[in-house]
Amino acid sequence: MDITLLLTSTVTLASGIPLTLLLTAASLLAGLVLAVPLAFMRASSRKWLSLPVLAYTYGFRGTPLLVQLFIIYYGLGQIGIIRSSVLWVLLRDPFWCCLLAFSLNSAAYTTEIFRGGIQAVATGLVEAAQAVGMSPLQIKRRIIFPIAFRSVLPSYANEVISLVKATSLASTVTLLEITGLSRKLVSETFAPYEIFIAAGVLYLGLTFLLTGFFHALEGRLNAAPRAKTPLGRVALQQVAHEQ
Amino acid sequence: MHEPTVKELPAHGVRAERIEKRLGGNDVLRGVDLIVRTGEILSILGSSGSGKSTLLRCLNLLTVPDSGDIWVHGEKLAIRSESQHGGQAEILDHRQVRRVRASMGMVFQSFNLWPHMTALENVTEGPVLVKGIRRNAAADLGRHYLAKVGLSDKAGAYPRHLSGGQQQRVAIARALAMEPRVLLFDEPTSALDPELVGEVLRVMATLADEGRTMVIVTHELAFAREVSTRAAFMHRGLIEEESPSQKFFSSPVSGRLRSFLASHR
Amino acid sequence: MDGFMLQFVNGLKTTVLLALVSGALGMALGLLAAAGRLSRWRAVSVMVGFYTTIIRGVPELIIILLIYFGGTVAISAFFGRYVEVNAFLAGVVSLTVVFGAYTAEIFRGAVLSIPTGQIEAARSLGLHPWQAWLLVILPQMLRIALPALANQWISLVKETSLISIVGLTDIMRVAAIGAGSLRAPLTFYLAASALYLALTSLALVIFNLLERRFAVPGR
Repeated sequence: MDITLLLTSTVTLASGIPLTLLLTAASLLAGLVLAVPLAFMRASSRKWLSLPVLAYTYGFRGTPLLVQLFIIYYGLGQIGIIRSSVLWVLLRDPFWCCLLAFSLNSAAYTTEIFRGGIQAVATGLVEAAQAVGMSPLQIKRRIIFPIAFRSVLPSYANEVISLVKATSLASTVTLLEITGLSRKLVSETFAPYEIFIAAGVLYLGLTFLLTGFFHALEGRLNAAPRAKTPLGRVALQQVAHEQ
Repeated sequence: MHEPTVKELPAHGVRAERIEKRLGGNDVLRGVDLIVRTGEILSILGSSGSGKSTLLRCLNLLTVPDSGDIWVHGEKLAIRSESQHGGQAEILDHRQVRRVRASMGMVFQSFNLWPHMTALENVTEGPVLVKGIRRNAAADLGRHYLAKVGLSDKAGAYPRHLSGGQQQRVAIARALAMEPRVLLFDEPTSALDPELVGEVLRVMATLADEGRTMVIVTHELAFAREVSTRAAFMHRGLIEEESPSQKFFSSPVSGRLRSFLASHR
Repeated sequence: MDGFMLQFVNGLKTTVLLALVSGALGMALGLLAAAGRLSRWRAVSVMVGFYTTIIRGVPELIIILLIYFGGTVAISAFFGRYVEVNAFLAGVVSLTVVFGAYTAEIFRGAVLSIPTGQIEAARSLGLHPWQAWLLVILPQMLRIALPALANQWISLVKETSLISIVGLTDIMRVAAIGAGSLRAPLTFYLAASALYLALTSLALVIFNLLERRFAVPGR
């Protein structure tokens, strides 16, 4: 093992961090925006609302992200209408394809996470809101969602960390984020140990930072001084959402 | 028994006619009539399963009756009965129901404080969202009602840091902050440890002294006897006996009520 | 597309075999690692903790690439000439390492959720510690771990697709070849996703049956 090479490649690969973070943050945001209404539909007792969402989450959670990415990046071009539409400007760009694939994938997991949280909100709390005369939208916005979000925060944190790791697939469609850069570097130097370990160290740093962030957020949202728990508790929870 | 008619309908207060409700295959309410006049404090007693909580919940449509009519402050609530179209009974005018609910404060057995909000936020949320009161003004209002239930010092506390009795008092303040015309209490002390019951009953007694219109479903017979102007006894989905409090407790007519009162001494 | 039927069948076989082999080895590794994590020897526990934390904090793709290309470099150095590692083998090793890390945490959590009173009860019946583990702890722990294991197996099936990146001719790779040669990527990738969905659904059904069969009363 060449320690100097390990250090220099860590520095080189660090230039891929912004793209990794951009892909993560943008997909996370898009996924969240999609997932919130979908989760309420999925939690609905009306079948015509919940079943289409179930089909979506089942499909996206039951197939590999790699296939989803390739369907979007390579597959959509096969459809003439898409090729001739304005959308093609975005869909032939690997960055936007990744963003679309990651967002849809993340939204599917996030939907199911939030669905669980929504359904776990005690009916009495909703009734108390109804009893003061709140509208259904007000109840969702001010009562159900905040309570659900707090209760699923550990699972959501896991989803965010999965997403950081999932962005490594962007390297398969030529994007030069951390993994893409490391593969390029390996093909030039053929020093896989140092370079991939350096990449792993960078990802580990990112996931640790995120774990710490969510841990702090959890403490803040629970708004009470809690007993100290070791950092990494969030990541140590099992990925309960992948059911 | 005196049969109330629509003509006698008070312009204020609450009135329910022929309320029926089936839940889980049981006839919980079997055509109940109930009138609550303004200024009246009505206690509803009965053994568990008699339908008293369901009746109370029908008054603000948290439970939608399968059939029957409900008037609140002279306004008939628009409900579609089960029998009219074969499907589930449902609310027809959601705006109306929200308006009516806002005018009827409700206190639940299990407090149902919103856990992500402080005591003060629990109290101010309704006025801000439903009545459109500005946050600052609502906070003043909230502090006023928290003081009224003796919890001025707990405004910033989250529900899980409060005792059961304190939580229920916050819940009462939350109901009061909407400045409702009627207060509904659904077994407000049943979930409390015995030593915490007193503080909640004291707050309720203060409200009764103010001449508020209250409907109280309770097991606290001594309290009901002390504060209520009228009392009703429910048995298997019907009101078995209903009379002014004095008469209800001192000379009950029905045998069932007599044995109920005797067994709950 | 017709000509690819046989290749898809072979790809499917490879995917299933890869998942089964790395899943079985991974669970064995996970059991060992969980025992190590729970062991009284602090050094062992800390080492295993490092293993599970690091593996779960790094993308699976990086681990796969490291093992494939790293393995190639190591073996080439050993033989003194360029030898490419078998992609299936690299897949088994990397997925086992990943699966072991996740299942170790599942097993550990399951063991910790078993009341200590049960171990004491087993001891008081005169069972040896290893008997207590084998007869009391292990069966219960597996039952408790079942739902989380189901999720992990489904993830594993999906993760096998990543091995196609280092050249394994699994479902994903067959689809990629077909997509390129017949210029019908949508068709081929949709076919691949249908196969994966069938596999993950099958895993779901099997685990649902297992859960019903071995349901923990009161859980």
